[in-house]
Amino acid sequence: MFATIAKLLMKRLIVAIPILLVVSALLFIILRILPVDPAAMSLPPNATLAEIEAKRLEMGLHLPLIQQYGIWLAQVLHGNFGTSIHFRRDVASLVMTTLPSTIELAVFAMLIASIIGIAGGLILFHVRGTRKEAGLDFGSILLLSLPEFLWSLFLILLFGVALEWLPFTGRLSPGVERPTITGFLLLDSLLAGKPAVFWNAVQHMLLPCFALGISFSPSIMRVLRSSLLDVYQDDYIHQARLRGLSERRILIRHGLKNAILPTLSLMGVQFGFLFGGTLLVEVIYSYPGMGNLMVDAIRNADLPIIQAVGLTYCIVVLVISIAVDSLYLILNPKLRVR
Amino acid sequence: MTSDIKRRDVLQMLAFGVASGALMVHATPVLAQTSDSVTIGWPSDVPSWDPNQRFTPDAQPIYKMVFDQPLDQSPTLEIIPSLVTKWELAADGLSMPIELRDDVFFHNGDKMTMEDFRYSFFERIKAGHKLDTANSWRHVSDIEILSPTKGVMRFSSPAPTAPQWLTFLGSYIVPKKYMESIGPDAFREKPIGTGPYKLVEHQLNSRIVLERNEAYWGPKPKMRRVTFDIIKDPSARIAAIQSGQVDLVTSVPVREVERLQKDPNLAAEINPFTRVILLQVRNDLGFSDSNVRLAAHYAIDKAALSKAFYGGAAVPLSVVATPGTAAYLKDFKFDFDVEKAKALLAKSGFSVDKPAKIRFAATNGQFPSDYDIARALVQMWKKVGIEAELETIEYAKYFELNRGGKLPEATLYSFDNATGDPEIFAGYLLNPKMPFGTWKGMEIGEKVLALFSEPVYDKRIAGYRSLNQEAVEAGATIPLLQSVQTVVRKKNLNYVKYGNAWILANKMSWS
Repeated sequence: MFATIAKLLMKRLIVAIPILLVVSALLFIILRILPVDPAAMSLPPNATLAEIEAKRLEMGLHLPLIQQYGIWLAQVLHGNFGTSIHFRRDVASLVMTTLPSTIELAVFAMLIASIIGIAGGLILFHVRGTRKEAGLDFGSILLLSLPEFLWSLFLILLFGVALEWLPFTGRLSPGVERPTITGFLLLDSLLAGKPAVFWNAVQHMLLPCFALGISFSPSIMRVLRSSLLDVYQDDYIHQARLRGLSERRILIRHGLKNAILPTLSLMGVQFGFLFGGTLLVEVIYSYPGMGNLMVDAIRNADLPIIQAVGLTYCIVVLVISIAVDSLYLILNPKLRVR
Repeated sequence: MTSDIKRRDVLQMLAFGVASGALMVHATPVLAQTSDSVTIGWPSDVPSWDPNQRFTPDAQPIYKMVFDQPLDQSPTLEIIPSLVTKWELAADGLSMPIELRDDVFFHNGDKMTMEDFRYSFFERIKAGHKLDTANSWRHVSDIEILSPTKGVMRFSSPAPTAPQWLTFLGSYIVPKKYMESIGPDAFREKPIGTGPYKLVEHQLNSRIVLERNEAYWGPKPKMRRVTFDIIKDPSARIAAIQSGQVDLVTSVPVREVERLQKDPNLAAEINPFTRVILLQVRNDLGFSDSNVRLAAHYAIDKAALSKAFYGGAAVPLSVVATPGTAAYLKDFKFDFDVEKAKALLAKSGFSVDKPAKIRFAATNGQFPSDYDIARALVQMWKKVGIEAELETIEYAKYFELNRGGKLPEATLYSFDNATGDPEIFAGYLLNPKMPFGTWKGMEIGEKVLALFSEPVYDKRIAGYRSLNQEAVEAGATIPLLQSVQTVVRKKNLNYVKYGNAWILANKMSWS
């Protein structure tokens, strides 16, 4: 099995290189075509035309686009993503500072989406053909039609303002000191032996994670339900019944095991979308992640950050895709034979 | 045929979920207020902890907590001593002797001297540090050090607003010795100043924590700890103050302020400040005819705009200056007069049936209700015979479009000037050589350029007062409203209201 996975990893890595090159070229060219002058943006508003022209030369903006891309790519390959126009800081350090928070948010949100999605899928399947089906079906469509930012505001109003149960700004309460070891707050608080900090951070993450998780769960629910419906037409389910196995055992051990594969594939795709969905949620919850950074960058036309974050999103989606394919191999032995 | 997941199982799962949730949240989150600390919900983060680096108006009140400016402003905007105790601009405007306090220390214990002043306003700029202040202080030819507390600023051309600029964007004294020892990049990570607070923690786009500088040279702040929660979303800021998670928020929508005024625990205010909302106009294309420009101005019901979009708190303006500032003309009024607008248009052959056509640009979301104001203006103009084609532009594109001469006849714009000085209002907005102004007519342009070199304060102010009226009467600018800052706070939190919208934590107290 490991040999197959290693082979798959190699194949995927080889494919990933041209994908990254194409994405980086598209990002670079599209951002350069936009009617925004990075040189003017790098200077204060009272800069003179001569100063802006000098800046354009310094930034190489007078060179042909392809040459500019070549220079940028060479710098990126050396780990230099440029300097932020707005923050005047190294872009790589900005991305590395914010990425761990977004990964934590996305992973926990995906966990919540998976739990709600799988549980909901099982319930939807369970009530098929009953009067409850229409009601639950309507509920799942309603969940599907509400975007994550609306869930964010709704959860803030309910649990933050009305009930005052949970905090909804930032990652820690005032007065709680943040340990910094790896950049992953939850991990760092555990490594530093500070359970109170860990707990505080978890409380701050609950609402944004649920906002994202709830909005991404309905599609998992619905795909799992239809996969289960398909799987239940197969002969082995009938045979299992003939063998006298209980319905619960058939569902969990046989039905779900096979029906989960297309759901898993969807979850991989969903995780990529969910990573992108962190943008607005992070802004609403003042969550110091990469999405928040990206929104600022778009607002300030901070092209170096937009390029770096765009590329990071692409890498994350590729990594998730490889991880899901590997998981597929682990869960489905038939694929390993081929 | 159904599996045997029973209703009871589902209910059990739900009960477990609710119990877990209740357990997780059994502790009510810590509310912001304690006797000597304050948490402020702020709409944007600081771009850099090098205070000379970026001109960001929203960041200035935060910088002022950690760093000091050479000169300060009173709540009514008069220039008052700070680190600089004495200053006097020479009659020719080419030099300014200054005297510094002798009892000021940086947060690391180093004494602040003229060396630091010279470094902040001259040496750093000459060394090529990437600073926005390099632009505002580009005319500094030298800063002569006479003693640790005395020196002379020398300028290559008259600098009549040098004292004002010492209170303005980016003008903070940074520690020369410390910055040279660790470098500007490391300084941004561990900044120190002479201000009333020390930076304890900064989580990008999330939180800034400050602790009182016990060795501060000025009045000791009542708040020992100040936390800025960076909450960019207005709805989240409102939720944060309503839930008590923060003690004060700014920049919330006006209609929300009106709603929160009814909350017995909160005080909600709409405060006009030194920001003007105006139409930047061109002197060519569809606006080459002064009748059309003036008609466009007469057709605007500014009081109605204020009432509709700012709860009536935004003061209608007739000149590009805010009430209380030096060049504001209390007795000059440009009336709302539809008939006059129609008559002016008729003189040029236009009417409601045969309208004058112009293009009109506005931002959407750059300042409160900007696009709504723009749409209202289009309707007001339509009634008198001006057909405006409204287009949305990004604020970031304004300067670029203006440089390329691509802005339309009118652009809705807002301009912030914490100093209140007329050079930074009408001077910047009508100077044909600066990127802010769209008016390129040299009759007014020449007068503006002359005022930039006028060192005598009274003559300069008189010049701007006259220019303010002339520019409006010529249709070279269309001032609309004085912008407002919205503040919602816990009722027992006291703060000092500044005419330029500074919210300073070192002036706050609990009652």
